[in-house]
Amino acid sequence: MRRDHTDLETRIEALLRDPAYQEHPMREALESLWQYTMHQLTRLERVSHVSDEFQAMARQRELGLMERYDRQVNQMSRAARISDRYQRMLQDLNRTLREASYKDPLTGLFNRRLLMDRLKEESLRAERSGHGYVLGLLDLDYFKRINDGYGHDAGDRVLVEIAGVMRAAIREYDLCGRWGGEEFLLLLPETGHAEGHEVLGRVLAAIRNHEMHYGDQPLVVSASGGLAVYRSGESYAETLKRADRALYVAKRQGRDRIVGEDQLS
Amino acid sequence: MEDLNIPGGQSVPGIQADVARGILAMQGDSYPENPFELFNPVIRWVEDYIDHETRPLALELELLYLNTSSIRAMMEIFDMLEAAHRQGRTVGVNWYYDRNNERVAELAEEFKEDCTFPFAILARR
Repeated sequence: MRRDHTDLETRIEALLRDPAYQEHPMREALESLWQYTMHQLTRLERVSHVSDEFQAMARQRELGLMERYDRQVNQMSRAARISDRYQRMLQDLNRTLREASYKDPLTGLFNRRLLMDRLKEESLRAERSGHGYVLGLLDLDYFKRINDGYGHDAGDRVLVEIAGVMRAAIREYDLCGRWGGEEFLLLLPETGHAEGHEVLGRVLAAIRNHEMHYGDQPLVVSASGGLAVYRSGESYAETLKRADRALYVAKRQGRDRIVGEDQLS
Repeated sequence: MEDLNIPGGQSVPGIQADVARGILAMQGDSYPENPFELFNPVIRWVEDYIDHETRPLALELELLYLNTSSIRAMMEIFDMLEAAHRQGRTVGVNWYYDRNNERVAELAEEFKEDCTFPFAILARR
């Protein structure tokens, strides 16, 4: 292939020099075409050196035109291919970093940091729209027994499974995250007390009905929940405090139930 | 011939060229604002070393991200090594990567493709 190129180069140069063709009408066309080709090569070399001048030009000059052409095209396509792969690597790294910043690595649910951001945003939105949101705090019942009885690996597996169950049980626009340990936070935008009670009740039923196994032993888990509705003018910390108190009452009343803030004495 | 010692920064790799030991080492990310200014001395150094020394030359690389200009500079350096190798010189590359980032190894593999001299891609940790 390269030999053909070199031959072609020699042949054209010989033809252009040959006095027998001096008057031939095609000679001028061939010469223009040849000059155009060289001009294109210079352009190509310039384009590939737009940000740098790494080519040792002295070495280049020793090479034939076609060889320089091949070399340039090869180098550029390789550099472009490698560069594309570096871009993809960066994009993947960025995605991983972004996910790590707002997701809980064990369950894949949103983490506490994202939940706090969203609670702040949702509170502002509630102030503007006049529609409150429901904040639900859920805690798995007797989770310590699973950890103590079957080990932490089993405990982690339960958390992962329950996370999936909760995600499937909420509505599309609800938010579910891991608040810490075996405690989960649910944010139900533009939702009132009664409707929130219903959603949280559904989540609890889904957890209760979800069958898991440890070896051949069936594992059943339940959860308790406290519910509070954001009130205009307050900070989400106050809403959270009421949900937390309601959760405490739910635990004391026997667990596996939702208690609303209206049931607080 | 002089040694080179370019301290690394956020967008500039650390570069050390040691004439006595015959080693050129580079570490880190490379997306310099002025690639010519950064790489020209390095390319000159490799050129001089190959022209004036007869001892082997080893590249010790721990490069992570490279932008297009840096890729071209590395290709140019590898081309010089290839030419030296074809003239019977002893040259080689060791490209180290973190086991947690296999992508770097795949990219080093791309650079290796056209090289006939020893080019090792080695996992660390």
